[in-house]
Amino acid sequence: MRRKNRAWLRRHSYSFFSSLGVLFQHRVGTLMTVLVLGIAMFLPLGLYITLTNLEGMNLRQDEWSAVTVFFKSGTTQAEAEQVADKLEKRFQPEAVILISPKEGMVDFREASGFGESLDMLEENPLPWVMQVSPQPGSTEQVEDRVADLIAFLQSVESVEVTQFDYKWLQRLGRMMELGTAAVTALILLFGLAVVVVVANTIRLDVASHAEEIEILALVGAGNAFVRQPFLYTGLWYGLMGSLLAVIMLGLTMFYLGRPLGLLLETYGTVFSLRGLGASNTLWVLLGGGFLGWLGAWISVQRYLRLLKVGGQLGRT
Amino acid sequence: MVFLTGHSGAGKSTLLRLVMMLERASRGQVIVDGRNLSTSPDRVAPLVRRNTGMIFQDHKLLKDKTVADNVALPLMIAGLRYPDIRKRVRASLDKVGLQDKENAWPLTLSGGEQQRVGIARAIVSMPPLLLADEPTGNLDPNLSRELFSLFEHVSEQGTTVLIASHDLDLIRQTHKRVLVLSAGRLADDISASDGL
Repeated sequence: MRRKNRAWLRRHSYSFFSSLGVLFQHRVGTLMTVLVLGIAMFLPLGLYITLTNLEGMNLRQDEWSAVTVFFKSGTTQAEAEQVADKLEKRFQPEAVILISPKEGMVDFREASGFGESLDMLEENPLPWVMQVSPQPGSTEQVEDRVADLIAFLQSVESVEVTQFDYKWLQRLGRMMELGTAAVTALILLFGLAVVVVVANTIRLDVASHAEEIEILALVGAGNAFVRQPFLYTGLWYGLMGSLLAVIMLGLTMFYLGRPLGLLLETYGTVFSLRGLGASNTLWVLLGGGFLGWLGAWISVQRYLRLLKVGGQLGRT
Repeated sequence: MVFLTGHSGAGKSTLLRLVMMLERASRGQVIVDGRNLSTSPDRVAPLVRRNTGMIFQDHKLLKDKTVADNVALPLMIAGLRYPDIRKRVRASLDKVGLQDKENAWPLTLSGGEQQRVGIARAIVSMPPLLLADEPTGNLDPNLSRELFSLFEHVSEQGTTVLIASHDLDLIRQTHKRVLVLSAGRLADDISASDGL
């Protein structure tokens, strides 16, 4: 019994490496197939990463949930503080920050770079500004709380304008849902594409080895023996394709990371791009390998059945 | 050692194919070594073929593998260890006189040499039954005689050898049992002593 197992192991390890060797022999053909598979797997992966990062951004509620309130010009510090107190009593917000005209001017001077020209102004035109962050919670809860805050603030006499990226947020929420559904559908679709591409490539591979397969069968090779090299070839195609997809993803994230980070800084968000992570990468590689194997299996199985049905073995 | 002869289309090749389970009998039965192939399922075919060495008229060698790899094929299918395979392959090539062609490519060999590689492959696993379909078809008389004596040697060592051949001169010279087929039927069974 042990001898049989050792023979099995020997055959499999032989096929494992020799199929890889054959792929490297035909570099151009292999490269083309791997490229197609890599791109096919990269697209859903990239969208998935985009989604998870967007979701991650959602969680930074303290940043997007703030309502900015501009008081009418001429409002005094006392009046502004009074409104802030009322807010705190009524809503128990997460934070209320008052920004005086003076502080505002300092910030503005730094950010705009006008510097000395601003000194020429006689009066400080900037009003009192208040930033209110509601209590944290689920996206829905926060949406409601923000609505309440705004409704109250709009009834306050000294408030000129309230600002909140409300619609943007709602849109983002809905887009997330749509995105998740789309990514799921795309993963299934591209997964199918991977299987079909490998099946097709292996089909041609099998056909070009028709003579060899015939000879193997004449010498008494069983289906498993004939299948093996093709299955391993499919596995390698899948593995290499998914590896390429992961590498492309890494490069893309590296390339986009810096400009994206800078853009988000202007929104006041400190953001670091979240990648696949070690365990997800492993799943992708295994998944790719499996899809490749599956495509090869489908192809070879069909051909072997055709052989048996046709019964054309050994005819000259 | 038995010869199978008859006119073209008499069914010599078909008989050999039936023994190898490459064809299924539409009528009657094929019984080899006590096993009824007609009632055996398809999955038994590889096993039957592993126990039968067959030599084809067109050699049927893998062109992209060396001579040694070609001869080693049945042993690799059986899952033998590499040192054992190497030993047996060398012994087999020795028997057919091709020991120095171990690493040659089939296409660099002459027709006769390719035929001998096919024979080496057929006998490397020492099967109980050896079939040959017109093994001397493409060879000159000297080579044919050499091959026949090789078959004789193999059969003396205990292997059953069945050779389908047109070459009546050669068959006459060997004084073995001859089965004559005609239009798919056994027309004559000439025992070794009678002679053609």
